[in-house]
Amino acid sequence: MTAIADRIEQASGAFEPSARLRKLGIGRGTAWLILIVILIVSLFPFWWALRTGLSSNSELFAGEQSLLPVGYTNNNFERVLGTASETEILDSLGRQNTGSFDFWQSLKVSVIVATAITVGQVLFSGMAAYAFARLRFFGRDKLFFLFLSGLMVPPIFTLIPNLIFIKNLGWLNSYPGIIAPFFFMTPFAVFFLRQFFLGISREVEEAALLDGAGHFRTFFGIIVPMSAAPIATLAILTYITAWNEFLWPLVVARAPERQPLTVALGQFTAQQPGTSPDWSGLMAGTLLAALPIIVIFLAFGRRVVDSIGFSGIK
Amino acid sequence: MTAAQRALPRRWPLLRSGNLHGGWPSAFWFLLPALIGFVAFYLYPAIRGVYISFTDWNLIANEGDWVGTDNYDRLLDDSRVWDSLKVTIRYTVINIVSQTILAIGIAVLMDRLTKSVVIRGIILFPWLIPNVIVAMLWVWMLDGNLGIVNEFLGWFGVDPIRFFTDTDKVIPTLAGINTWRHMGYTALLIFAGLQTIPKNLYEAAALDGATERQMFFGITMPLLRPILALVLVITIVGSLQVFDTVYVATGGFGGQPGGPANASRVIYLYIYQNAFDFNQLGYAAAISVLLVVILLAVTFVQLKLLRAGESDLS
Amino acid sequence: MRKPIWRLIAVFIALTLVAAACGDDDDDGDAGEAQPAPQATEAAEESAPAPTEAPVEAVTIEYWLWDGNQQPYYQQCADDFTAANPSINVEIVQFGWGDYWTNLTAAFASDSGPDVFTDHLARYPEFVASGVLVPLNDYVARDGVDTGAYFPGLAELWVDAEGNRYGLPKDFDTIALVMNSGHIADAGVTAADFAAAEWNPDDGGSFQELIAKLSVDANGNRGDSPDFDSSNVEVYGMGLEGNFGAFGQTTFSGFAASTGFQFLDVNPFGDSANYDDPRLAATIDWYVRMIDAGYVVPIEDVESLGGTTVFQNGSAAVMADGSWKIGTYIGADTPFDVEFAPLPVGPSGSRASMFNGLADSINRSSDNQEEAWQWVKHMASAECQNIIGEAAVVFPAIPSAADIAVASHQANGVDVTAFTVHVDEGTTFLFPITDSASQIEAIVGPAMQEILRGQADAADRLSQIADEVNSVLGS
Repeated sequence: MTAIADRIEQASGAFEPSARLRKLGIGRGTAWLILIVILIVSLFPFWWALRTGLSSNSELFAGEQSLLPVGYTNNNFERVLGTASETEILDSLGRQNTGSFDFWQSLKVSVIVATAITVGQVLFSGMAAYAFARLRFFGRDKLFFLFLSGLMVPPIFTLIPNLIFIKNLGWLNSYPGIIAPFFFMTPFAVFFLRQFFLGISREVEEAALLDGAGHFRTFFGIIVPMSAAPIATLAILTYITAWNEFLWPLVVARAPERQPLTVALGQFTAQQPGTSPDWSGLMAGTLLAALPIIVIFLAFGRRVVDSIGFSGIK
Repeated sequence: MTAAQRALPRRWPLLRSGNLHGGWPSAFWFLLPALIGFVAFYLYPAIRGVYISFTDWNLIANEGDWVGTDNYDRLLDDSRVWDSLKVTIRYTVINIVSQTILAIGIAVLMDRLTKSVVIRGIILFPWLIPNVIVAMLWVWMLDGNLGIVNEFLGWFGVDPIRFFTDTDKVIPTLAGINTWRHMGYTALLIFAGLQTIPKNLYEAAALDGATERQMFFGITMPLLRPILALVLVITIVGSLQVFDTVYVATGGFGGQPGGPANASRVIYLYIYQNAFDFNQLGYAAAISVLLVVILLAVTFVQLKLLRAGESDLS
Repeated sequence: MRKPIWRLIAVFIALTLVAAACGDDDDDGDAGEAQPAPQATEAAEESAPAPTEAPVEAVTIEYWLWDGNQQPYYQQCADDFTAANPSINVEIVQFGWGDYWTNLTAAFASDSGPDVFTDHLARYPEFVASGVLVPLNDYVARDGVDTGAYFPGLAELWVDAEGNRYGLPKDFDTIALVMNSGHIADAGVTAADFAAAEWNPDDGGSFQELIAKLSVDANGNRGDSPDFDSSNVEVYGMGLEGNFGAFGQTTFSGFAASTGFQFLDVNPFGDSANYDDPRLAATIDWYVRMIDAGYVVPIEDVESLGGTTVFQNGSAAVMADGSWKIGTYIGADTPFDVEFAPLPVGPSGSRASMFNGLADSINRSSDNQEEAWQWVKHMASAECQNIIGEAAVVFPAIPSAADIAVASHQANGVDVTAFTVHVDEGTTFLFPITDSASQIEAIVGPAMQEILRGQADAADRLSQIADEVNSVLGS
């Protein structure tokens, strides 16, 4: 994998894309068409979720298939946010709200959990990745492979032992309990950062070490700033993954006030065997739950997608 | 001498000798947090899992007695294990092929056509939604009677397709859904890899009169190999462990997870059934061990194969 | 933008602060919250010597259920209960059906979980075998609870082979036909026709004639017309629940049982099943023929979004379903009027409906079993069951409370006696109780899916799996 770095170092010089496109077998128009189709395929389900969220449940199955909402209502979003009145709920749901879903409380849990996991996991995995990439110690490669093989351990294997462990710590229904298994490392994070650290030029680092800087100063003062882009990328990936985590918070956070959004949205899935979920509520909830992620992504995606792989290494 | 040591150029004698990066004392503090997490949440559960595979562990009672290799003997005779492995492999092959080809295509198109961050952001959108919700959304969209996709197909005179309930189509459908969710993510990783390929190689090749096609297979693909290795390892390991999507999408709101008629009972689902439905954690652990062995073997072989061409650039 | 990472961290922290400001802060990050109960008990014990000084600290009982529709009414029961027992609070936690069992299993596996939970007959024998439930016999005897107060048979379902009781009944359910009023009126059929219908697996009897008449193809031909096009059906005479299943609770069980078929040699806790009974094969074969004829919806159409959705879509005129779904059919989700009729009379000369019920069980790892019992007893009492009956979300297990539910529906113009007639006339049979229900489901369910797709012959396939099922039961 060190080859990535070699290539990265050699990457240089701007190249005029359109010049090569002229040589592309397919025309520029066709290429754009393919890309646009792919974009539509990527986005259409989101429209469908929005359309469903803006429809009223009773008309979803009844009428013609329409690309627009059927029986337009923003009632579903209000139900998710808890601003719908009793009668509105009865109208759209045919029953009282069960009242255990508090969007803002679950949003808060999601934010706290995802933030803590991201900070801890990126920091600690980064430190370990540095040791694996740069330090030299007995059994290093074997230990790294052991870490990596953690990627292969099926989560179902670890679910129950981890749950028992967290329970014995007295951390059920608590933030530490939800966060702990992801806080210190994941094999992916270590693997990912190690690959990038391997690619960083050794000269600067060597100079710093010769100047008498310790490894911690070298790591935080040189390696981290130079790897800002991959670290930011990993942070975003970790944040999204933590935000979407389902099974672990489900079993460890049983109290409604500790459920992140993914678990709390279960409110809108099927309550009984054989019944449909509350489609419009579920889709409205899903979109609202994804909104913070989309905002973060739009705000920082540019840096990430722009700079993966090269900017930190100049 | 380790591989990493050999890889160090001769002009960094200090690093090479390991004097500066000496040993465990300095590595220890870098590794400590990650080690805590690894031992507590990966290693210990994995070792416990292996132990449990030699017992008749009852999940709910949380106890079991040593039964020697009984579970492994049973596994060898259990045709369901081998059937589910076949299903898993079929899924993996379809998923990997479609996802990798699409992702390379998207990455190359993006590389050539546009630097637009918005477009790069949009193709990552599907990855922002949790698996479980993605599965539900597609069940909703692909339904034989009420799904919008069949409505579209109807416009073109195509008869409704029973994506999830036709025994031959369910696995390709599931692979398609996961391709939809992951293609943008994979494409971005590959896109990052493309940025590392020196553009002057293309210029030189173009001057020599190479066609686009020749450049793609002669320059792009070989130089993408390290990134492809990372991508393939992660996607294959993920595909062999596919679970949530299958469980939710085939269970639907009336079917049986792994259905119809066991056509989508992947190995991980069979493990889940044994543990959570049949309460036989000992046997589930034995199948998990088999799965881990397969994963390790596949990864090992893959890394070997993909490393063979590491010197492509020189 | 040279250091995106610092910006990211800043934004994450800012988001956390915003979120923290939005949420209510009274319940912030105390890890000990999970175990208030043991602390409370200790406190209670400590304060025992000096009861006059401090009032007894309240104990909180955690109670799980899966049906959100019932939660508000059990909350009302809980409020009444706490009013009468100020030292016991009840916290109700609800998870949808799928998450419920995953979570409960994980909870048992880690010796934690709710003090009291809603239990299901398909699951409880495995819980009993694993020793995670508290036997209630002593409590029942001590407090003189009358287990004869419930509908006959319901209380006995929760007693194992050794005579230990693991639950007190709270409700019951039966199966009946739900009919799309518009569709049956169009065909000139009434609910009374269905109530009087007879069925047999050979020619389907008058019941088959009814569902044939209710089937309409794209050209408007009905199923009893020679022009009926079975490959292009608009409305199927009968819908199906997607999970045809091993026990066919809402699908084949009532029909099969009306032929005299029984699932187990002994119920509850039999050690051999009768899946090779020719009467079962004949019943399943009838379904296959009906699907071919276009009178019954193809199984492929209902496995994904479910049979209820297909019915609500108007694509099926009639469908067998459980009484717990009454609310779904008369509620806002179903955009047309429905009527109910009992299942048809079969070759045995009577109707048959599966009779199932839920109960509340106590988790062995509960630290407050006495308080948990008090809550179980309250939910099984007339006081709480009358509230459930008034709300008419399910049929309570106590007859007088069930009458309230029937009357409550009647007041809304909905006649649900089609469900209770099975109980009144004694034409119910009990849900088959075995200690390996989920393994049987995993063997038989997929086989049924093959048979209904025409990929296997009913008699052949069922006799194959019968051995498999019996070896699971025997082990």
